[in-house]
Amino acid sequence: MGFDQFVAERLDRLLGYATAITCDKHLAQDIVQNVLMRAQNKWERIGAMDAPYLYVKRMVTNDYLSWRHRKAAREIAVERSELAKHVPSMADPADAHAEREAMRARIAVLPRKQRAALVMRFYEDCSDAEIAQVLGCAESTVRSQLSRALQTLRAHELARSATLGVHS
Amino acid sequence: MNDLIRSAIAAEAEERVDSRTVLAELHKRKARKPFGLIIGVATLTVAAAAAAVIIPTAAKKTDASPAELQPPKAENVLLIGTDDANHADALVFARFEPDGSASVISLPRDIFAESSADKINSLYLGGPRMLTNEIQHLTGAPVDHFAAVKMSEFGKIATAVGGVEVCLNKAMKEPYSGVDLPAGRQTLAGDQALAFLRQRHGLLNGDLDRTKRHQAFLAGLAAKITKDNAPALARVIGGSIEVDEGWDVLAFASRFQGPVKIKTATLPVGEMITRASVFGFAPDPAQAKQFVEKQFGGGEATQSGCVN
Repeated sequence: MGFDQFVAERLDRLLGYATAITCDKHLAQDIVQNVLMRAQNKWERIGAMDAPYLYVKRMVTNDYLSWRHRKAAREIAVERSELAKHVPSMADPADAHAEREAMRARIAVLPRKQRAALVMRFYEDCSDAEIAQVLGCAESTVRSQLSRALQTLRAHELARSATLGVHS
Repeated sequence: MNDLIRSAIAAEAEERVDSRTVLAELHKRKARKPFGLIIGVATLTVAAAAAAVIIPTAAKKTDASPAELQPPKAENVLLIGTDDANHADALVFARFEPDGSASVISLPRDIFAESSADKINSLYLGGPRMLTNEIQHLTGAPVDHFAAVKMSEFGKIATAVGGVEVCLNKAMKEPYSGVDLPAGRQTLAGDQALAFLRQRHGLLNGDLDRTKRHQAFLAGLAAKITKDNAPALARVIGGSIEVDEGWDVLAFASRFQGPVKIKTATLPVGEMITRASVFGFAPDPAQAKQFVEKQFGGGEATQSGCVN
């Protein structure tokens, strides 16, 4: 597959993935742009692979998880956790939109690697093996990252229902 | 809860920017990429020459009195143009004579190193010493010092000297670089100067014309450096130039008393080869040594003729 064809077919999906793991569309845009510039320079090699998309996704993920974006990620997390504090008390539990936004805010404050695993599972429908390949870790690590993320989200979900129960 | 997670993540992903914006940006960067090399070469030479003129001015405030300075000797300096990620994007080997004249050789960065599988420009990532050792090996000439300069400062440098005179054989208008210039002798600054150096497309002799352009520009720029504009130039360059420890820059700089006479050339390269499926030039130390010896040994200064 040629580079131009790859970009035409996959750019939108790659942007969606990057936005979901970074929770910041501008950071996502920067990362995707930089990664594609780099990928283009060695496309001869990447294009010949079985799964070029998986490889480019790995580049995007590594870039986000690298030290370079640690500060940006922290700032986004702080901003989102402020938001998250306010959402539950104001939300009507029957309101699906509010419920989704509350979940979004909770996902945004997860550790970066856990969120990346979560997005690959629930947005990209990846197998444990594929996630392990992208994150560069063992499948057992993927499973523990996912179960820890789900545990956190579930705990929050319970706390939220309880709070709403008291106030309603 | 899984459906809720799914829809929350989908909502987050939905926020993504329009892919057409990204496509446009990719296209723009692709067109911009190769320009760095030339700009770097020019910046480096000018920065070194300017630093040389400037430092005595700035040094008057310190305790070193000019009377204590040794008379200057000829020194070979490797000038390294770095991009924002601190990669060596341009390499220039310069010999500065005691009388202040300079002989400058552009080193094509696609030459493979002999000491490793990489190209010479990637050696800088392993430290300046790795790079200077390789250059010494390749050219047979000692590298006395090195100076690294950020190339992004170039625009300001051109403006700081009040423009540079060049001469074009014919009028040139070309959309990629944004060049839009009349024929004949003219003074360039800021964006026009950049466009002049950047242009790759629509040149009669391709790369050859491009090299001639940057060398003509260098000569013009060097001629504009004076004691009066040096302080302004110092402010522009000061924060972005890095030199080796132990370089007595004062002694080095004392040779420059006015505009810098400069002659420029490009190192001839060996044949095009591939290593690990990367294209580059084979190193040819025998030819390189001969060329550098001749170039550093003397010869005519670059003529300020017109270029394509």
